[in-house]
Formats: sequence, structure tokens, C-alpha cells
Amino acid sequence: MAPLLQITGLSAGYAGEDVVHEAALAVDEGEAVTIIGSNGAGKTTLFRAAVGLLRPSGGTVGFDGEDLTSLPAHRIARLGLAYVPAERHLFPEMTVTENLLLGAFPGRPDPAKQAMVFDLFPRLAERRSQLAATMSGGEQQMLAVGRALMSGPRMLMLDEPTTGLAPVLAKEAYRALAQLRDDGLTLLVAEQQVPLALELASRGYVLEDGRIELAGTSEELAGNPEVQRAYLGVA
Amino acid sequence: MIAAILDGLVLGLQYGLLGVGLTLIYGLTGVLNLAHGQIAVLSAVVVSLTMAGGVPAIPAVLVGLLFAGLLLLVVDLTMMRAVYRLDGEPRILLGLLLMLGVAFVIDGLLEWRYPIEQLRLSIGGDPIPILGVSMSTGSLLASAVAIVAGALLIAFFRYTSLGRAVRSVIQDEQGAQLCGINPSSVRTFVFGLSGALACLVAVTRAMTSPIGASNTISFTVLALIVAVVGGLGRVSGALAAGVLLGLVDRLSSFYIGTYITTIILLAAAALTIVARPHGLLSRRPA
Repeated sequence: MAPLLQITGLSAGYAGEDVVHEAALAVDEGEAVTIIGSNGAGKTTLFRAAVGLLRPSGGTVGFDGEDLTSLPAHRIARLGLAYVPAERHLFPEMTVTENLLLGAFPGRPDPAKQAMVFDLFPRLAERRSQLAATMSGGEQQMLAVGRALMSGPRMLMLDEPTTGLAPVLAKEAYRALAQLRDDGLTLLVAEQQVPLALELASRGYVLEDGRIELAGTSEELAGNPEVQRAYLGVA
Repeated sequence: MIAAILDGLVLGLQYGLLGVGLTLIYGLTGVLNLAHGQIAVLSAVVVSLTMAGGVPAIPAVLVGLLFAGLLLLVVDLTMMRAVYRLDGEPRILLGLLLMLGVAFVIDGLLEWRYPIEQLRLSIGGDPIPILGVSMSTGSLLASAVAIVAGALLIAFFRYTSLGRAVRSVIQDEQGAQLCGINPSSVRTFVFGLSGALACLVAVTRAMTSPIGASNTISFTVLALIVAVVGGLGRVSGALAAGVLLGLVDRLSSFYIGTYITTIILLAAAALTIVARPHGLLSRRPA
């Protein structure tokens, strides 16, 4: 079976200078995969190029047999590849409910999906008429994931979902992601919090200086001495 | 005094609609449409010419609304493409200059071909007394149209999926794209809507006083002041600011004199920027 997401030879950057160099990765339907890398390794650039927010300078992005490489971001979103950026990009002066309704654009909002989101994040149900700008970082992260789920995506890409979250909240965020994974949603998560990411994912890639330097199962990566030294704080 | 207040409300409701058209485009694209008043007047002239051709008032007004909407829509699809490729200050400057160019072209056209053409919509019927003040039917109809249009706009932006999509692009364009919203179609739609609103204001103003080439600049300036006081990009803010400024306008000319109203309006706008940079109704900390 062909992978759901297939990225080959993808290069991308800003002002003519590539930040990501010929990255290749694949995610099968139903899999949870992580990309680990330090600050500035190119995780965000790679994601932005994959979802159409940044025009790649080379390579291809395939999703469910379709070539996404030249499509604008809103078309890619409608094909069922949802992206939750680290900065979340919520609509600050809209309520939780309005943010969720927009997640279902252009379709009619599905009450069952909204119930599913409120089930996953009961906090959002409590705060449904609160403005997004007035919520805490953890709640905003929940809302960003919830908004992405409203379209019923086939795959969810998350860029550092624990950015700015206290350790307790980071664990909580990952519990929700694990539940989505167990429900069969395909996940690709970029992360610096490597222990959490390796626990969620079955496989991972290590991105360093814009190149994918290593790939393997989560056990292999957790056991790799270089990964341990660079990301797991093992001396 | 009561007469001045009622007059202020009538005027203010229309100021509000004038400001909404400008504020939507600015909030969405960073383009300050300095041709807003020119487009309003040009479309009023189109209505007037259509009526002179024997078309009844209501269909003629529809022609004007369509004309103004299409005119701005074409501006979005052509000249503004160059603006959207830029970011930050260059974008704002180029948008400003291009729209100033459009304003000059329309002013020139009006001066050259239609210097004395004016739209006048005389609404029949005897004046109706309200709170002891006799109000002309024209004023009352103009207010009714403005109130209905304002209420429809608020409902549209709050309760329809397209209206929410417009707000989403104003608040976070990338977030909107990630929700499957195409910012460029939203922009084209809003340019068309803004044009139609400009025409609507010119038409309601024409119910109380004739509208022609001499009104262009004052319309643009008023739209600008209302949009600034309301908070750029905010529909309900612009409507509220319009009403407030309409009252300030009538009361200051009642107590002080017409010559000073524009200065007082500008001062009100400047004060608002200092006190509440994001507009009157802003919920965002300054």
C-alpha cells in the first residue's frame, strides 16, 4: 500500500536560501510518526512547505496519491491534510465555538465532530463562549487541535504542540494525541520534547541542519547513543 | 437641540455605513481606499443618469449598486494584485498611492463630463413629527435603509459561514488558509461589498440633499475618520463610530457653527487614536 503522505527530495527556505535540503519521508495511513530536531533544525520550514504555506524550491509532496506540490494552502487543507502550527494561528477575537465552526469551513459544522472535540477537551466545552485571545496557552493548543479536527481530516500534522506549555500540560496534550492515534488518525508531530514524542510515535526521523540524518523505530531512536546525548539528556 | 440629535442620528447611521466599507478593505488587505467617496459619488451619478434615461428609481439604484461593486471588484482583480505581493510598509504605501490614483481619475472624470450632474431622490409625503420635531420622509427613509443595512451586515458577519470567513482572514490570514478559506476570494468579495455599500450611502444621502462631484472628498475623509474611530477592520465599531460622529457633527454645527465641524471630527479621531488605538469598541488591550 502506498503511504498516505510521501515527501521526496523536498527543499525549501526563505529569500532564495534553502533551510531544508532534500528531505524525504513517508507516513502510512493510521501511523503516528515524529520528526525530532532542535530549534532551527528546519522542522517548521519542512511542515510549511508540505502544507502549501511556503513554496518549496524542489521536491514533491504527495498525499493520498495527489500531488500537493503546487497547491495553495487552503486547497491542501480541504483535501484532508490538517496542520496545527506552533504559533497556532487561532482567530483571537472569536469565541471557541466560532473558531471551531471555521474549522469546518466550507462545509456545515457537524455536531457529532464538535461533540467529539468537546469530549477530547472538556475544557473547551466549559469555555465555549470565551474569546480565543483570553485563553491560556494550554487551552489555545487544545482549541488549535480541536479546530483542525472539525474538518474531519485524514491526517494531522502538528508543529511542536508543547510550545510554551508547562510540563503537566505538555503531558496532557500528548494524552489527547495518543487518544487520536488510538482512534486511527494518522499523525506527524515535530517535537523537541523527544521523550514525549517517542512515546507517542512508532517511528521517527531526526532532522539536523535541514537534513534528515536518521530514521528508525522509536525504540531504535531511543536507544541510539547520539539521540540520547543530543535530545534525551543522557550523558 | 432635539432636532440636532435626531439629525445627528440620521447622518450618523449613514456615516457608519460609509466607514464600514473602508474599514473592511483596510482590515483585510492593508489598503486604505482613498477613492471610497469618489466611488460613492460616481455610482450616484450612474444612478442619476440611469434615471434620466427613463428607468424607475429602484432598478436604477440596483444598477448603481452593481456598478460600484463591480468597479471595486475589478480594482481588486487588477491593480491590487501588485499590492498583495508586498508586505508591511511597502504594501500599505503602494495601496495608498494606487487608490489615490483611482480617486484622481474619478474626480477628473466627474469634473470633465458630469460637473453639474447630481443625484436627487425626492421622497414624497408630508414631514412626520418625531419627539416634537418634524422629520422629512426622506430622512426617515434614509435612516430606515441604513438601519436595515447595518443590521444585515452585523448578522451576516456573525451568523453566516461566509461572514465568519471574512472575519477570520482579517484576524489571521494563515489560520484562515489552514481552515480551507481562500483569502484571495474573500478579498474580491469584500471589495465588491464595499463598493455596493459606498453606493448605498450616496443613495441614502441623496434622499435629503443632492449628491454630486463636490461631495467626493468629504465622503472619503468622513469614511476615513469613522473607520479610524471605530477601529480599523471592525464592522460594529465603524457603525457605532458613525452614529457617534454624526451626533458630534450636528451638535457642534448647532452650537458652534458648520465651519468647525470637520476640525472637531478630525480631533475626535485623533483623540480616539491616542486613547484607544484599536478603536472605540476594542476588547484588545491598547
